[in-house]
Amino acid sequence: MSLFQIRSNHSSLARCAPITEKPGTDRAMRVAIQRARRGKKAAPFAQQQAFDGAVAKLVRAIPVDAQVAEWFANENLIPLVKRRWKKILLNPAVLAIALAVAVIGGVFAYRVHEHLRDFPGADKARRLLSVATSTRSVLLDPLQTDAGALSDLFFMKHRLEHYDIPPEFADFRTLGSRVFDDDEVHGVAQIWVVEKRMQFFLFPAEKDPKDGSVTDFSDWRFVELEGWTGAVQQRNGVCFMAAIRGREKDLAPYLEKRKQ
Amino acid sequence: MSVTTQNLPQLYRFCFLMTGDASKAQEAFQDTVREAALRSARDEPPPDRLWFFRDARWRCIAVSEQGLQAEPGMLEETEISPAAPMQIEQLDPDQLAVWISAAPEPQRSALALFYLDEFSLREMLAVLEMKAGELSDLISSGRRQFQAWLDATTPYAEE
Repeated sequence: MSLFQIRSNHSSLARCAPITEKPGTDRAMRVAIQRARRGKKAAPFAQQQAFDGAVAKLVRAIPVDAQVAEWFANENLIPLVKRRWKKILLNPAVLAIALAVAVIGGVFAYRVHEHLRDFPGADKARRLLSVATSTRSVLLDPLQTDAGALSDLFFMKHRLEHYDIPPEFADFRTLGSRVFDDDEVHGVAQIWVVEKRMQFFLFPAEKDPKDGSVTDFSDWRFVELEGWTGAVQQRNGVCFMAAIRGREKDLAPYLEKRKQ
Repeated sequence: MSVTTQNLPQLYRFCFLMTGDASKAQEAFQDTVREAALRSARDEPPPDRLWFFRDARWRCIAVSEQGLQAEPGMLEETEISPAAPMQIEQLDPDQLAVWISAAPEPQRSALALFYLDEFSLREMLAVLEMKAGELSDLISSGRRQFQAWLDATTPYAEE
């Protein structure tokens, strides 16, 4: 656009300059008004503004008929509220916020749900599941016997009392075992069995921080970590965990055996 | 943007400027507001306040076509006088409305909408469906014609 055209546009815009200042005035119009006020045509522009102001004042003086005024009294004549709500809801910013809130809510609900299923010692159990995922069979002392027979070994050799294998798993043949101290869990017994390469863990139960008491539970409770699932039971202050690579349903047949 | 009772008096004034007649203005105004209410009842409310003025404009044009019509012709034009505000002060709103309503379309709509002092340039162009240059020419020539009419009917003598 040439300089002449720009000047011509400004002059053209100034001829329809708003009578009173309005908040939504375009930048081009603002520039045109500034130029008209400061340029050679400042006097005619001032006359134009005075002329327009006088006409607008006369327009505002147009009386509104009493019969027409009745129409103004009814605020609900044109209810646009419904459309406004729709518009607000479809606003991309509102949609993005709603989506973010939904995601945060979902994560929060999942965490709450996970905590509801938690039990004393669940954190220790998860930690030992991570041990199960990384254990190689060479780390364990080779030992081929029934898992149930290891209780006496743990007591006689390591002074670990009540490290009993539950009857559901007592008949399983072992490949190896070891006793170790973890950074957070001390006196952990780990057994590797032939059956589906399952691993058993026996470790001290979580004590109540207030009174040091331990609450046993005889039902099976579950923890999950990185594709592994552990079924945990607690008796005589000792937790037993059967860990398997898979889901809860993969452990279910072994746990139901006892009930039958 | 919602249409509240604040906008409706301006809508009536627009109709009055467009028709120059209170009863015709009332008819166009009421028809527009009634149409808006019907649309709202059908769950299709007017999208914005411009709809009201667009609708009222066509109704006013239709209403004005009934009855006596101003004869088309070239109006005299004069440069705006410094005394114009004083001349305008002497007028009744009815006189202004009669003068604007006698202007040919689309100048009549342009002047009525412009002197309502309600809309931005962008909004006026949206209602009138024209370009800024066209609107500017219509307003500018309207001013000069009105000044000529003022000089003829309401001369101002400095004391």
